[in-house]
Amino acid sequence: MEDVQVVAMLVRRCIAGDAAAWEEIVQTYNRRIYNICYRFAGSSDDAQDLTQEVFIKMYRTLSSYDHTKGAFVTWVTTITRNLLVDHFRKTKQDRMTDSMDSTASDHEDAQPLSEQIPDQSAPPDAHVRSREVSETVHEALGKLSPELRESVILRDLQDMDYKEIAVVLKVPEGTVKSRINRGRAELARLLQRTYRQVM
Amino acid sequence: MPDQTRNGMQCNEFDQLLTDALDGVLSGAALDRFQAHARGCKACGPLLAEAEAGRNWLQGLTEVEPPASLVSNILASTTGVDTQRLWTPAPVRQPRTSWLEHVQASFLEPIWAMVRQPRFAMSFGMAFFALSVGLTVAGVKPADIRSLDLRPAAIRHTYYNTQARVVRYFDNVRPVLELQAALHGIKRNLAPVAEPEPAKQKEHKNDTTQQPEQKEERNYSRTENQLILASAHEGPCLNSCDLPVVSVTTYRRFV
Repeated sequence: MEDVQVVAMLVRRCIAGDAAAWEEIVQTYNRRIYNICYRFAGSSDDAQDLTQEVFIKMYRTLSSYDHTKGAFVTWVTTITRNLLVDHFRKTKQDRMTDSMDSTASDHEDAQPLSEQIPDQSAPPDAHVRSREVSETVHEALGKLSPELRESVILRDLQDMDYKEIAVVLKVPEGTVKSRINRGRAELARLLQRTYRQVM
Repeated sequence: MPDQTRNGMQCNEFDQLLTDALDGVLSGAALDRFQAHARGCKACGPLLAEAEAGRNWLQGLTEVEPPASLVSNILASTTGVDTQRLWTPAPVRQPRTSWLEHVQASFLEPIWAMVRQPRFAMSFGMAFFALSVGLTVAGVKPADIRSLDLRPAAIRHTYYNTQARVVRYFDNVRPVLELQAALHGIKRNLAPVAEPEPAKQKEHKNDTTQQPEQKEERNYSRTENQLILASAHEGPCLNSCDLPVVSVTTYRRFV
C-alpha cells in the first residue's frame, strides 16, 4: 500500500518542519482514518472530531514513528484505534453482542437488539447497493461489541491483513481471526432477522 | 464453541481456518477436512454460513466521502494554516469610504438607533430631571459652574485654602472641647452615689398575662408561678410601707 522509503522520507521532511509534507500526509490518510472513525463511532460529526484528534496526535508524536518497526499505515491505524477506544470509554456505548438475541434481565421491557432494527420487506439482493441497506448494515455494525466491530472494520472495510490487525489491536493473530468470525456471524444473524424472507 | 472432534478436525481448528477458507487460501486436504467438519458439526456449519453472509454484507458497504472541509480543519488545528481560505473565492472589494463615514457606520448609527428607542428616551429624561432637582437642592447654579477656574494652579490654590480652613476650625474648637471634658469630670466627682434602682419586672410587651400564647406552650413548659417579694429598701420605711407583691412567671426550656 505504501512505499516504506517514500513514507519515511515524507515523515522526516515533516519532522523537519516541511508544511507541504504534512499536508501530503493529511491528504493521503484522511479518507482512511475518517472511514474507520465513521464506521466505529457511527456518526459523521463524531468521525470528523475523531479524525482531527487523530491527526493532532499524529502531528505531536510523528517523531516517535520508527519505520523499521512497522508500516506507517499500521502506526496511523494504531493511533486511530487507541483514540477510538478512549472515545468509546468516554461515551460508554458498550453493546455486547453475546446478549444480542437475549433480552437483558435487568430491563424487562428491553427488546433484543435484533428486533430493534426496523424490519424491511425487500430482499437484500435487490437492494444490496442501495443507500437504505448500507445504512441498515452500518447500524447493525454499530450494535456489535467494540472488539468485534474494530476487527471486522479493519479486515473487511480496510483490507488489513491479520498480522497488521494483530499489531494494531495488540492481540494474537488467532484471536483476531476468531473475533472476525464472530463479528461477521453476529452481523449476519442481526441482519438475518431484518430480512427474514431471504436469508 | 464446543470443542468437538469431527472428521479429524476440532472446532477450534475450524475456527482458525474459517477466515482462510473464506479468503480462498485454503486448499487440498485441509479444505476437504474443513468442509467435512462443516457438514458434520451442528455448531460450525451454521457459523460458516453466517460468517460468509456477514462478510458479504460488509463488502457491500462502500467508503464514505469525508467532508470537504476536513483537510483544511485538520491543517488549521495542527499547523495553524487554514487552507480553506485558498479555496474560497476572494471577497468582493468594497468601494473606498472616508474615515468619517466609517466611524458613522460603525459607532454612531448603532448608538443613534438605541437612543431613538422610547424606553431609552424616557430613562434619559428621568435621569436629567433627577440631576437637575438634585443640583437645585444642593444650591448649585449653572453660573457657578461657568465661573469655575479649572487651571491646575487654581485647583491647587483651592485645595490649600480648604485644608487651611479645616485646620483652623479644629484649632478653634479644641479649647471648647477641652472645657466640656473638664466640666463633665467635675460633675461626675461631685454627684452623690446613686441609689440602686428597685428591681423591675421585665414585662412582656404583648403579654396580657391572662392568656399566654399557645405557641409558647408548645415549646416551653410553664413550671413555676411563684409569688415573691420585691427587694425592700433598707431604712425607716421597712415596717411602715406595704411591700409590693410581684408575680413572676418563669419559663424553662423544655429539654
